[in-house]
Amino acid sequence: MSTPQPLHLHASRDDRRIAALAALAIAIHVIEAALPSPLPGIKPGLANVITLVVLVQYGWADAAWVSLLRVFAGSLLIGSFMTPTFALSLAGACSSLMMLALAWRLNPLLPGQGLGAVGFGVLASMAHIGGQLIIARLLFIPHDGLFHLLPVLMTAAVLFGIVSGIISQSILIKLHQD
Amino acid sequence: MIKTINSPGLFTKADIVIICAALLVLPLLYTQFWGNGSQGEIARVQVAGHEPLQIPLQRSQRYTIKGPLGASIIEVDEGRIRFVSSPCRNKLCIHSGWLQHDADFAACLPNLISITVSGRNPRFDSINF
Amino acid sequence: MRQFILIIVVLICGCGRQDDADDQLHQSQLLALGTLVDISLWHVDEKLAEEAIQGIDSQLRQFHHHWHSWLPGRLHDINTALATGLDIELNDNELALLQHASQLAAQSEQLFNPAIGRLIGLWGFHSDNPEGPPPPDSAIRKLLQQNPRMSDLVFSDHKLHSNNTAVQLDVGAFAKGYAIDQAITLLRQRGIDNAIVNAGGDLRAIGRHGQRPWRIGIRHPTRPGVIAAVEIQGDESVFTSGNYERFYDYQGQRYNHIIDPHTGYPSKHTLSVTVIHTDATTADAAATAMFIAGPEHWRAIARQMGIEQAMLIDDHLTVHMTREMAQRVELKQDLKSAIEEPA
Repeated sequence: MSTPQPLHLHASRDDRRIAALAALAIAIHVIEAALPSPLPGIKPGLANVITLVVLVQYGWADAAWVSLLRVFAGSLLIGSFMTPTFALSLAGACSSLMMLALAWRLNPLLPGQGLGAVGFGVLASMAHIGGQLIIARLLFIPHDGLFHLLPVLMTAAVLFGIVSGIISQSILIKLHQD
Repeated sequence: MIKTINSPGLFTKADIVIICAALLVLPLLYTQFWGNGSQGEIARVQVAGHEPLQIPLQRSQRYTIKGPLGASIIEVDEGRIRFVSSPCRNKLCIHSGWLQHDADFAACLPNLISITVSGRNPRFDSINF
Repeated sequence: MRQFILIIVVLICGCGRQDDADDQLHQSQLLALGTLVDISLWHVDEKLAEEAIQGIDSQLRQFHHHWHSWLPGRLHDINTALATGLDIELNDNELALLQHASQLAAQSEQLFNPAIGRLIGLWGFHSDNPEGPPPPDSAIRKLLQQNPRMSDLVFSDHKLHSNNTAVQLDVGAFAKGYAIDQAITLLRQRGIDNAIVNAGGDLRAIGRHGQRPWRIGIRHPTRPGVIAAVEIQGDESVFTSGNYERFYDYQGQRYNHIIDPHTGYPSKHTLSVTVIHTDATTADAAATAMFIAGPEHWRAIARQMGIEQAMLIDDHLTVHMTREMAQRVELKQDLKSAIEEPA
């Protein structure tokens, strides 16, 4: 009787690419976790640079994989899995991705070249903060006084969105020059 | 799916539109969520022993509320509310003037009618006076 | 491979805490003790809440009738006996209340003096609609000479006797506090540990509003806005005595209901006194006593009565606060304030 064969998982080329990009995003996420922030768990989302580059280069589906892998694996590495920080991170990532899905769909309809990384970056960033605030309100901070912070946080979101968009766009330009 | 980037620039036209739209939205957020939290939104008008009436302060209107002494008239005007007339003796309720901020309060005790204003973010569970 | 990861993604634990939605707050308003009583209960099931409110309603009604300052009732009977030098038998509750009152009177240098019922009546405040004219000075002086005080009362077992026939009991200066304490006891007996009972602006709060403390606003004495905010810690009462609560105007002069037992006249110089303390009975009596003591003497009375957190607003609208009060309370408006140094 032959011994049962071990199950072989074959990583496709796409898998490897996603894994590499996710690893990069996770690294940024972990480093960013060490930075101070205005509210626990609400981060500027610098790892979004990777997400934006993946979005423009490879499309929304890949960007979603990278983003979610980043959130899950990143939180496991930091040790924040299933903590409030994780919930906020996930909420931000999900709402950001939903916004990007919408923007990605509508992009071909836009005049000219449509949106670049900056446009996607600003939209993603604002959605990210919005999602985090909603989850924070529902699960952790039980009164509407929290929304008092919304204008300031949204301002920061727009700024970070522009910055990460510029960084992403620069990376993309560099990639295409090579 | 690979998208080619045609323009060597950092911003596309659509990007600029998004940025402008975001910058326009920001001041609105400030007016909506800052400082105005204390502005009155709703007044709770109650005749003791009965269910309270929730009156929105955006709609300018007069209300006649019947208490044991008779009818008190309450006026709402542009986010404010006040007693206009009341059958009590001291008219303290009327002298309280316009109520417009969260936790502002006036009452006609003889006629058992009280008005409490609540802002969007009610700050207090109870008021001592 | 990605499919396996997808399965992990799907296994999201949706465990959020069911938190402090305001639909856990049960609020009702009663008419009792001659004023509006607001009761807030946190996280209590509807039926229990309704029963508790009914219980408080009848308890307050009973108390109001029993201890009413001028309408026929038990207090009236007690006063009649005392005025004629007769003994009267008290029940346990009555004994407890009057002994507590005596103790507070002694601690307040008799500024809290529930024995001056005659004086209060003389000024016309034994009426739902007090009005002038103010009494003649001669009548006031006569009563002052008779000097009715709680120390004139003799308690032997359950019998009460007064050595001074001028004593007429009027517990209005601490009745609200006493009644609120009783209401809180009732709530506790029914297993309700998070509540606010607010009678005409004076309140006692126990427990919390769910995950956060109860937040109390203290109103400005003359304007409709809030001047101070305080977060309740544990079990606390917030009481304010003001010169604007009961008064009448006569020929351009205003006469308020807080009569100074030493001068025989309504207290001047004070606009309001706010006290934060544990039990409501002491808070109520202390607020009255400190009001009468005025800007010069209130600090000493506070200390004697064991009150640490207190604030007095004088008739120039200056806010005086004890240091503990200043640390505790967030003063909102632009008011002239003075933090009293301990003597």
